[in-house]
Amino acid sequence: MDNYFYDMLPADELARLHYIPSVPEFMTWLETTYADMPALCDHTNTYSYKALCDRVAHRRAFLESTGLPKGANIGVLDRNSADAIELFLAITSAGYTALMLPAGLPAPAIAGCCVRFDLQALFVRDEFKPLVEGVPAKVYPCCATSDAASPVTTVDPDAPAAIFFTGGTTGAPKGAVLSHRALMRGCYNAIFKPGNVIGVHRYIALLPLSHVFGLIAGTMGCFYTGNLIYTCEDMKATIGKLPVIKPTILIIVPGICDILAGLCKMYGPQFLGGQLRMIISGAANVPPRLVDIFTKLGVEFCFGYGLTETANLTSANANALEKPTSIGKIYPGQEAKIVNGELLIKGDNVFSGYYKDPVKTAEAFTEDGWFRTGDLVRFDKDGFLYITGRIKNLIILSNGENVSPESLEEPFYADPCVRDAMVKEDDLNGSHVIAVEILPQMPAFEGKSWEEVEAYMNALVAKINASLPSTHRIAKVTVRKEDFKRTGSMKVARNQ
Amino acid sequence: MAREEVFDGLKEIMASVKPSLDLGTVTFDSKLVSELGIDSLSMLLLSLAVEHKFNMRFENTEKPFDTVGEVCDYVINALQ
Repeated sequence: MDNYFYDMLPADELARLHYIPSVPEFMTWLETTYADMPALCDHTNTYSYKALCDRVAHRRAFLESTGLPKGANIGVLDRNSADAIELFLAITSAGYTALMLPAGLPAPAIAGCCVRFDLQALFVRDEFKPLVEGVPAKVYPCCATSDAASPVTTVDPDAPAAIFFTGGTTGAPKGAVLSHRALMRGCYNAIFKPGNVIGVHRYIALLPLSHVFGLIAGTMGCFYTGNLIYTCEDMKATIGKLPVIKPTILIIVPGICDILAGLCKMYGPQFLGGQLRMIISGAANVPPRLVDIFTKLGVEFCFGYGLTETANLTSANANALEKPTSIGKIYPGQEAKIVNGELLIKGDNVFSGYYKDPVKTAEAFTEDGWFRTGDLVRFDKDGFLYITGRIKNLIILSNGENVSPESLEEPFYADPCVRDAMVKEDDLNGSHVIAVEILPQMPAFEGKSWEEVEAYMNALVAKINASLPSTHRIAKVTVRKEDFKRTGSMKVARNQ
Repeated sequence: MAREEVFDGLKEIMASVKPSLDLGTVTFDSKLVSELGIDSLSMLLLSLAVEHKFNMRFENTEKPFDTVGEVCDYVINALQ
């Protein structure tokens, strides 16, 4: 391991930042280390680190008053509000396990999550209350707090801290369990950025807290370095406020980079507020043209690579200009090796397993305990990594979420008029979209014209789309007259 | 403001939002998602740009916009 990451920070700042293996210890450290520095702004009030920790202590007292057993799984269904951030910190520092639900989740999926992840309580934003009627969990408002305050709980760093969705938020989602040790390793790795990092940045929580990139690299990385984060309850309204917030750093997915690039092109770079120094992008492929656009605007562009299962941060590239197609170097706290082209990872940051899914968990690891990333990679002579292919069938959406095509295909197979369906990534007028190819069960359409078959399939897609979060909707439909290419076992052959 | 005027403004924005789009094919009936490939992130950019250009605000609507014409009508109503 070279000093690539440690050399990014000034020595005095690096000396102040050490790896803390649990959220309760982290909360105590934050309160004493950054006390009066600004931590969180909800666009009306700004809370210092001391005030934030105090508010979290009152939330902990509320949690403890509910009588939930320690270790219980607790869900949060909210937008990126101060409530949601405080609840995450309170749940994890009081010895419970947090599951941050995506704000766009439809009602049946919320109920399904409560069952699948044994949620004993669900904190719900008022506007989402109609979606949680009858869910098998105690429901509390996100603003719930107590007059009393409760200290942090001592936890085993290997105990679960949070569960994150991966491989799709519909159908049969998997829940990656991150221990305190893994979560906090991800948060610690988020401190590594070129230049001064302590108390110099204004962040915005633009990415969903249900996604590791938003929660770990964004919000927790901001707190680790004593910076200020603005909440984002409405993406459009918050982007419209950039000239007022004047962010100095943005942790965003390439899709949002594209939006900002478009706005700069239309209205000039002042739309970003005039103080933006750095963009950290990831969770989906970062096109080199984005590096070029923002570099010309005087914004430093860094990007990285990671998975939910590795607490988000596996590698990062702070040399985007010299190595625009590399995903960078491996973060500290990990070992990496390549076997048959696949990147394997071992380290503190690796997840404990998929929640109640021993089969998928076993498949995710080699016999000697290395996590299989499913990504085909190569190193160059300087130790920079490059992705050369993907083993897993994951679709990476433009907002950074990933979805397994199989989970989107499931409802098609439930329709008797569909013989086979294949969901894949495609291009539509230059946009990266989810597409489906459907092979009809032709005997079901006896006497019908081809136009009627197509109309039926388009209506089926519309019906399925209505049950999906907007980011997961299928935008392109092809009804096939010819059979798919098939594997030896007659399964539909993907990527052909 | 006339519907055609809003439509022309919208096409001007679309040219920036989606440079790959053939603007000659865009009509009032063009479907934003399935025909023009406006995904949720492009829609965000489009709505921000429309708000900026026409000095109006999109409020949360129950149903997402389906066609270009629906966006034009919303803008016209908002400006009244």
